[in-house]
Amino acid sequence: MRADLKELWRFRELLWAMVERELRIRYKNSFLGFFWSLVNPLMTVLVMTLVFKTFLHNETKNYSAYVLSAYLPFMFINLAVMDSAQSIITALPVVKKVYFPREILPLATVLANFIHFILALLVFFAWLLGIWAITGFKETPFTWRIAFLPVLLVVTLGLSTGGALIISALNVFYEDVKYVVGVMLYLAFFLTPIMYFSENVWISTHKQGAHTEWLYTLYHLNPVATLATTYKKTLVPPGDIDVGGKFGMIHPIHQDWTLFGAAVLVSFGVLLFGYWLFNRMKWRFVERP
Amino acid sequence: MEVCRASVSEPALSVANLHKEFLLSHSGVGSLKTLALWWRPRRLEHLHVLRGMSFDVPRGQCVAIVGRNGAGKSTLLSLLARVYKPTSGEITVNGRIAPLLELGAGFHPDLTGLENILFNGMILGLNRKQALDRTAAIVEFAELKHHIDAPVRTYSSGMQARLGFSVAVHVDADILIVDEVLAVGDHAFQEKCYARIAEFRRAGGTILFVSHDMDAVRRVADRVIWIENGAVAADDGPAQVISAYEGA
Repeated sequence: MRADLKELWRFRELLWAMVERELRIRYKNSFLGFFWSLVNPLMTVLVMTLVFKTFLHNETKNYSAYVLSAYLPFMFINLAVMDSAQSIITALPVVKKVYFPREILPLATVLANFIHFILALLVFFAWLLGIWAITGFKETPFTWRIAFLPVLLVVTLGLSTGGALIISALNVFYEDVKYVVGVMLYLAFFLTPIMYFSENVWISTHKQGAHTEWLYTLYHLNPVATLATTYKKTLVPPGDIDVGGKFGMIHPIHQDWTLFGAAVLVSFGVLLFGYWLFNRMKWRFVERP
Repeated sequence: MEVCRASVSEPALSVANLHKEFLLSHSGVGSLKTLALWWRPRRLEHLHVLRGMSFDVPRGQCVAIVGRNGAGKSTLLSLLARVYKPTSGEITVNGRIAPLLELGAGFHPDLTGLENILFNGMILGLNRKQALDRTAAIVEFAELKHHIDAPVRTYSSGMQARLGFSVAVHVDADILIVDEVLAVGDHAFQEKCYARIAEFRRAGGTILFVSHDMDAVRRVADRVIWIENGAVAADDGPAQVISAYEGA
């Protein structure tokens, strides 16, 4: 594994060139370029806000900011994994003719998507500042918690890189892997606190009289769920959350660092396993049946 | 001028007892579904393409590899280009290899010629600065002029091949691995390619190429290796091997 990493380092300039190429290709033929990639999250959040605030009468303040702060990282993981699923098969004609570390292909896709994600976050911040200005500079949109964002980004990047390595390698030999993963990611969207809150899960598992606290832990063993909650708590100032039903508005629960530690472990476990699996399989890509 | 490089005792390329086996699956497992339905032990065919091949290529030599289709020529070149991993045996390379297994492999149709030069040069082992420095020379050699700013998809196949060849000969490799790609472009461009290859050889470069064109082999090779059934059938000067090969 050390030798593989050294080889990857030797080819780092090719990796950057490939990231650049990917970004160029994506927006070569579209006039609005980067802004097209913002249309999807903005429309999604608009619709979700409409559904939750207007149809379901949810009273949580900053609801759309909460949704967006978790939806952007979720979409990054989703796109990084799904785009890289095809990265090796598409490049197979080159892979069969020239040597270069094959992991560069999925890594470039992940990094290109990561750059999009960072840009989208910047737009998100600009939007928060805009609202702050319009409402007369009353409540500052950021707290000191934002200092934690770099750590969150690194963990998110590690998890999606691991996922991308696994999926891209397996998809060379079993072409339906990407469909299975697509369905799983679609379902993961509902099992991740994006349009609702960890507090909803907490109420449902702790306050119904049944001993179902373990379900809360189980739910958060999915690192994406823990990451989504941590993004919300990092990027949006804490406020009361409307969990609905007889409980109504409740105080936000504190960030659970044990669960976050578990998410970090799982993420880097996925990364290590992915890198190991990819290196085991990469010499057979050219010999696929 | 630099002929002295050829006198260095260490060979540019050394192949020792090289074996390559492929697994051919007839069930064609290509999805999880078929894997689940074909859980029985699958009928796998072992295809023994290279069966213990050994040879050394001294620096500065130009070696032609001849043989029938399926003899293992392309597999050998792919192994030298590190596209495949050997099943067993050793390949030792002293110096940088530029594989020309296919001209313009890795060109992206939507990017311009210039963007593709940068990218292709880097795939072949240049760093960004070296690739940028050589761009002018590459464009000049490929005779693309103002087309270089157009997307490669607008190029004719001859233009693409010219650009591919031009990039490959400008990456300062010590060893060129060429798979039947010299039959590109018009007569004038082919002459230019031969001139460039002669220049490369004068500078002490090593060449290994596969060809079915015996005139080309006679013209440039100073040694011919004839491959039959994944092993070396003959290894000698062009005159001897070609007459034996054509007689067979």
